[in-house]
Amino acid sequence: MTIAFFTMDISFNEYHLIFPRIIIGALIILAVALLLQKGIQLLKRKEKRPKPFRFFSENYDAKKFYATLVLLVLYPPALSLFGFLPASILFMFLITILYAGQFNKKTIIVSISNSLASSIAVWYVFGQLFDITLP
Amino acid sequence: MLAFEIITPFTVLLCFLGVFIGIIMGAIPGMTATMAIAIFLPLTYVLEMVDSIGLLIGLYVGGISGGLVPAILLNIPGTPSSLCTTFDGYPMTQKGEGEKALKVGITASIIGGFFSLTVLYLFAPFLASVAIDFTSVDKFLIIVFALTIIASISKGSLIGGLFSGVLGIFISLIGRFPDNNEMRLMPPGLEEQLVYGFSLLPVLIGLFAVGQILQEAEEGMKPASHQKLDLKKTEKNKFSLKIFKGQYINTARSSLIGTFVGMLPGVGGSAASITAYSQTKNFSKHPERLGTGEPEGLISSESANNGLIGGALIPLLTLGIPGDSTTAILIGAFLLQGVQVGPLFISSNPDLWSGIVITLVVANIAMFILMFFSIKYFAKIVFIPKYIIFPIIVLMCVVGSYAINSGIMFDVWTLLIFGVLGYIFPKIGVQIPAFLIGFILGMEAEKYFVDSLKGSGGDLTVFFTQGPIAIVLWILILGSLVYAFIDSQKSKKNQAST
Repeated sequence: MTIAFFTMDISFNEYHLIFPRIIIGALIILAVALLLQKGIQLLKRKEKRPKPFRFFSENYDAKKFYATLVLLVLYPPALSLFGFLPASILFMFLITILYAGQFNKKTIIVSISNSLASSIAVWYVFGQLFDITLP
Repeated sequence: MLAFEIITPFTVLLCFLGVFIGIIMGAIPGMTATMAIAIFLPLTYVLEMVDSIGLLIGLYVGGISGGLVPAILLNIPGTPSSLCTTFDGYPMTQKGEGEKALKVGITASIIGGFFSLTVLYLFAPFLASVAIDFTSVDKFLIIVFALTIIASISKGSLIGGLFSGVLGIFISLIGRFPDNNEMRLMPPGLEEQLVYGFSLLPVLIGLFAVGQILQEAEEGMKPASHQKLDLKKTEKNKFSLKIFKGQYINTARSSLIGTFVGMLPGVGGSAASITAYSQTKNFSKHPERLGTGEPEGLISSESANNGLIGGALIPLLTLGIPGDSTTAILIGAFLLQGVQVGPLFISSNPDLWSGIVITLVVANIAMFILMFFSIKYFAKIVFIPKYIIFPIIVLMCVVGSYAINSGIMFDVWTLLIFGVLGYIFPKIGVQIPAFLIGFILGMEAEKYFVDSLKGSGGDLTVFFTQGPIAIVLWILILGSLVYAFIDSQKSKKNQAST
């Protein structure tokens, strides 16, 4: 692909690359512009030390956050391994009790009810009644 | 008269049922009107043509309208087209005006619905002929215009908004280019899974629903302030038609934009409400208030997204081209019944055509009656405690993502990948709405760009010299960018002074 003044020689073999190249160019230009903008903002600031970047919010709930990530990553393989109903009931129980935040009789009953009711309802309505493909 | 003979009480009943189920599915984050129609499509095998259309159009209207419930109460757009509803709807809820916001949205929805229905009925052949006459250059410029909206909604960071939008386009280009079947931008090892790129629905659900769940998990799943609130009849939460006073032009303009955008093949969906919202901001007396809980923004988004329903049906019924993903599924419903949609559809099936229009009237009335008078009950779907509803949302998201392409596990991974990105993006300054707009419109932009170049033999001036439509579009694009730049500078000054 060559570009002359207001004309572009394009060949059939390179159709798929024309637009991505333009978009990558635009991304680079915008990224540089963003960096320059940030740099100018820093220079304009009176304080010598800018505030350090904080990824997590203050007093974030590490247990719930990381456990959610782990459960989300384990759920798809569990679906393939155990099938929809067993994997979903287990996943739903664990994630409900995690979010409830307490491990007592009430939360266990709520978590079991939630996991059984929602998993079976989804399995029946989608899988059995409407014949939708389930994981 | 013939149409009333076609529409039976059973059709009306199915239409009400479709609206009811559609509202529930639209109200559950992760479930969309598209999914609702896809799920119920197999059921139409056993129904007559008009009955099946009654059910599906009911699901369509209900699904699009139900999306405003989680958008307003949870800040999660229930459907892609309710994206802009979150901008002002959720801040209203935070201010204790949840019920008012819901009823404003419902009223705007029925106005938009009837507006587009009138346009569909009166001007379908004419409007369709205008749209079909658009060249690739015009279509490309329409998408560029839609993309400049990125700048308008980027709230004080023009370059950041544009970067996010272009990043969305970049991700949308991953996969095979249909013209020459060549692959590009493939991550190693994922060539098989990404032949058609990332599916829209898992990306959308991931960015909004899973990203939101991770954010909530980080904050410990504490009850949000609005969840402590009931939809009580307080003075400031009271709905009145007076809210619409001074909003007539906004409502009409947004309904018109929704109808027109919906009518353009491939540019339907969320682009309708985004374009309308952007123009409302441009014409507003107080643009700085939009995004802080102004009914003006809510009216704009909701009248536009229901306006697109009638608009999206125009190219579908007159050209056989779907305006959006939902109408693409509706083509399947016609095919199931052996009916060919296209230029001859209206003249060959006048009874069915009238039946569709009357079904749309019934569906809009059903939506209004069910939602306006029962909104407290529908709202309860999203008021269930977070530790109960969020696991159910994850389950539905996984099932929906898996089912959308009839059982592909990679779509579930797509959901999770974009869920994590939806959590990370706001923290590093990438704006999700802008990213998503780029992602939705990217492939179409490429198609029309390459088609334009092929047509002109590589001459780039074709984008400026194609004709009066192209010139008007360039003026709109430049106007939108100039406005966005001025707005961005104003926001910076305001931030600096506070």
